[in-house]
Amino acid sequence: MTSRAPLAWSAAGLIAAVALPWYALQEGLDSGAWLTGLWSSEDYASGFGQIVEQGRWWLAPVLLALMACLAAALVPATRQQRGTLLLIASTAGLLLFVAQALGIGLRGWTAAWLTGLFGELEVRQVGLGAGGAVVLVALLSLLSIGLALRGNFGGDAFVAGAVTTVAASIVLFTAWPILRILVQAFQDGDGVLAPVLLLERLATEKIWSLRCLSGGGRCGVAWNTLFLAIGCGVGTTVLGLAFALIVTRTSFGFKKTLRVLTVLPIVTPPFVIGLALILVFGRAGLVNQFLEWSMGIEPTRWIYGFHGVFLAQLFAFTPVAFLVLIGVVEGVSPTLEEASQTLRADRWATFTTVSLPLMRPGLANAFLVGFIESIADFGNPIVLGGDYGVLSTEIYFAVVGAQLDYGRAASLALLLLVFALGAFFLQRRIVGTGSYATISGKGDSGLPTPLPAAARRAAACVALPWAAFTLILYGFAFVGGFVKVWGRDYTPTLDHYAKAFAVEHTADGLIWTGAAWNSFWTTLKLAAIAAPLTAALGLIAAWLLVRQRFAGRAALEFATMLSFAVPGTVIGVAYVFAFNVPPIEITGTAMIIVLCFIFRNMPVGVRAGMAAMSQIDRSLDEASLTLRGRAPQTLFYVVLPLLRPALVGALVYGFVRAVTTVSAVVFLVTAEYELATTYIILRVINGDYGLAIAYSCALIVLMLAVILLIQFAVGERRLGRRAVALKGGPA
Amino acid sequence: MSVEFHNVVKRYGEATAVAGISFTVEAGTLVTLLGPSGCGKTTTLRMIAGLELPNEGRISIAGRDVTTLGATQRDVSMVFQSYALFPHMNVLENVCYGLRRSGQSREDAARHAREGLRQVGLESYEQRQPSELSGGQQQRVAVARALVLKPSVLLFDEPLSNLDARLRRQMREEIRELQLRLGLTVVYVTHDQQEAMAVSDRIIVMNAGRIEQQGSPRDLYERPATPFLARFMGESNPARGLLRRLGPETVRVRLGACEIDVANANAADGEATVAIRPEAIAVERPENGDTNSLAGTIARASYLGTHMEYSIDTAAGLLFATCPRVERPLAVGDPVALQLAPRGVIVVES
Ligand SMILES: Nc1ncnc2c1ncn2[C@@H]1O[C@H](COP(=O)(O)OP(=O)(O)O)[C@@H](O)[C@H]1O
Ligand SMILES: [Mg+2]
Repeated sequence: MTSRAPLAWSAAGLIAAVALPWYALQEGLDSGAWLTGLWSSEDYASGFGQIVEQGRWWLAPVLLALMACLAAALVPATRQQRGTLLLIASTAGLLLFVAQALGIGLRGWTAAWLTGLFGELEVRQVGLGAGGAVVLVALLSLLSIGLALRGNFGGDAFVAGAVTTVAASIVLFTAWPILRILVQAFQDGDGVLAPVLLLERLATEKIWSLRCLSGGGRCGVAWNTLFLAIGCGVGTTVLGLAFALIVTRTSFGFKKTLRVLTVLPIVTPPFVIGLALILVFGRAGLVNQFLEWSMGIEPTRWIYGFHGVFLAQLFAFTPVAFLVLIGVVEGVSPTLEEASQTLRADRWATFTTVSLPLMRPGLANAFLVGFIESIADFGNPIVLGGDYGVLSTEIYFAVVGAQLDYGRAASLALLLLVFALGAFFLQRRIVGTGSYATISGKGDSGLPTPLPAAARRAAACVALPWAAFTLILYGFAFVGGFVKVWGRDYTPTLDHYAKAFAVEHTADGLIWTGAAWNSFWTTLKLAAIAAPLTAALGLIAAWLLVRQRFAGRAALEFATMLSFAVPGTVIGVAYVFAFNVPPIEITGTAMIIVLCFIFRNMPVGVRAGMAAMSQIDRSLDEASLTLRGRAPQTLFYVVLPLLRPALVGALVYGFVRAVTTVSAVVFLVTAEYELATTYIILRVINGDYGLAIAYSCALIVLMLAVILLIQFAVGERRLGRRAVALKGGPA
Repeated sequence: MSVEFHNVVKRYGEATAVAGISFTVEAGTLVTLLGPSGCGKTTTLRMIAGLELPNEGRISIAGRDVTTLGATQRDVSMVFQSYALFPHMNVLENVCYGLRRSGQSREDAARHAREGLRQVGLESYEQRQPSELSGGQQQRVAVARALVLKPSVLLFDEPLSNLDARLRRQMREEIRELQLRLGLTVVYVTHDQQEAMAVSDRIIVMNAGRIEQQGSPRDLYERPATPFLARFMGESNPARGLLRRLGPETVRVRLGACEIDVANANAADGEATVAIRPEAIAVERPENGDTNSLAGTIARASYLGTHMEYSIDTAAGLLFATCPRVERPLAVGDPVALQLAPRGVIVVES
């Protein structure tokens, strides 16, 4: 590699330090007003302008380090020497950058001891702007080039850059916000550290009371959350297993239909099931009305509370467990079951002593997914919870409600995080990281053993009514959008759709008068921006984790796994805390929502990418490398084309999840940037079910259309050779 | 008589995997199913095990008709190609598994399992997990696990295919030794002709779902009944020759300028396909007064340490020959005179 790349990056950084405003602008860059104030204006000045004219001396060392990088790029030196010089200069620059960004805020020095050390500051600093951001990126790039020149990362600057990008973005947008929760939980209202406060905030009756067990009164929200999560984990695992067994191990005729169930939770905003349950079991719901009409029983609010949320979560998350467990059941080697049969074990013994134990790690995994989905769920508890508070709703009320108690919100978020990570680590401890992989290379492809009759009957009795009921709920949710007032006036109407999606034709052209349009377009726009970024970052991370060997690989993999377990509510609150003060001040912008989408959904992209990539023979990459393709060429011309389905999958997933997510973004939306789901939730809270249902259905149909279109375009996987034999096998 | 197949047919949808085969396996012998990949060996073996049921025909084991019985009800056990050791059990538990399922008490099962492990030389490994064993050891555990059930038939599906070449020879000798020592009835599947010849009492050669020929290893090598067999059992050169019957047991085969008298009882006079074994061709420098030899020139020569391999252009086509003399090899282009030994010239089709 020549010195061109480090030269270009140093130059880019320095140009940005001259020609772009260092700090964020209130009005954004597109106004152009800053062009004239780059040197002397307090708000608009570039890095050098800030140093010379505004007396922000602390930026000088950073820019000096950048100039040192430029020098390192220019002096004649060997590869190794240039790498070392760049590494030193860029590391120094980055450290200085971070130090000044964290050390000086809106109100001067951020800590008392700094004030003591350097004296009071006259000028302060606001959030980072375009100039500062470009300098940061330049320094990071120079760091990775330096590392590559010195022979790290196989001497490949692309790999080094990719690792730096992924690691830096995870640190900035996942680790740092979560750390901020910790800090916030220990601080009082004025930002003074007070560790006892955390204890005070958490050690209350409202959180830990166990009175519901002894009969009198309610339990604390922590217990509520745990009970719900354990119930949901167990319930969804059992139901999911029943479905998975039916689909993979019986000759049941409607497997395709059942598989559709697995698509539903992806396209459905999580609270829709809650809404449907209200239509059936709510005060004005069908069941209550029928009971009143036939037997004169007073309508009850029975559905609001534990029962309702539990039911809704079971309905909402069983398909997720189903999806996980299909893979688990299919992963049980048919040969092991056949071996068991040749060893005198009948089907029932084979099932209980071989198949089930082999599924155990997968079952634990499904439980974990159900558990985490439950504690992370915000939509169903807020719609159906009533008095039954859980952590995610408590946090919400602490942040947006009348209490406005950030410390309490942070403490509760911390507790929620501890629950999630606790479950995550417990699961890893109990089942270990690995599943029972097949031991040897060449396999005999046997036939999966059909289920023993008793198990088949049990699975069918559990799963089929449940599937039917799920479809009925969706049906009601659909119909609910077409009647005047559910429970009172069932006249068919299109009013709700008209109210949401009206378009008027006037002399000035089309006017989008519907109440939903604003949030609808915002959602689509932001999701469309986030999806490709999510997919790209996720797949690059997956490629690094599967295909490259570098120091810190295990840590990176662990970090992505971990962020999978962090509940959305925690991320949402964390973003509020981390990004409403300098150095990164983006609360209330569209950018924070996009970032939240990306880093919420990226772990799934990483996992999907890793799964897909480990199925592609590594020798293909190596062939390309020996044919003179460098790492980026190999990635683009060999790996990516083979990964097309995974890429498309990650894109769709990134988009659809961004559209349907609630828990994280509910903290980040503003009147200007309102999202579809948060808009609907507010309508539900106000009791405006008709509009909410109409809007939800429109979203579901749209997402289904997107998925089907893409599936159609990409095509399905071919089936295995032996798949036909299930019916013809030993009866 | 331990295993009997009567016109057994197995179809998968439209495709026929096994197209009507009949054979018997005598008690106490090792019989190999041999054939190219996809010819139906595994399917046949799985039908003996009861893992697949035939569409037509009858199967009996130890005199009992088991045609419609599943694997659990048959007195058969199997060693799988991937060994199929249960990864969630240790070695002892794996070997105990079948004994416990057949209703033995925990103590009895453990005792028998230890005995089985001793027979395969793994008595000190009982607490290991399968993943902590080498390929050969896993193989032995799989054998012990099948053996302790004292089945009337023990089945092996390509048991050596996951081992490296050196271990393969050792394991096949161990299996054969065990079978002879315990007097086991074994059906063994392989696609490797040498392996089959080394372990078997009898070989059943299959092709495209049918049985081509069965017999002892020597029968099959020296008297292959079809061109397929001549090609599949060892190497051979196909050639066209002219046949003339000399007596009830002998025919004279004319190949180019040379004539060989070959033992054969049923071929008719006229043109015929013969197979010539490479080791039956003696490659000599031509001398004056050579009679009854086939003239040719060396087209390729390679040195293989133990012997030379030659390809030779002759009037009967390109012939492949092996020659144990390596000290004064012939070079490409050298003229040669070939002498054919009668036992290596086989009439396969007339
Ligand atoms: N479960 C199955 N479904 C469809 N075709 C099968 C199945 N099992 C085997 N076959 C077909 O039957 C034929 C014989 O297979 P097999 O017995 O496995 O051959 P091999 O001699 O290599 O062991 C092959 O053509 C194979 O494709
Ligand atoms: Mg086979």
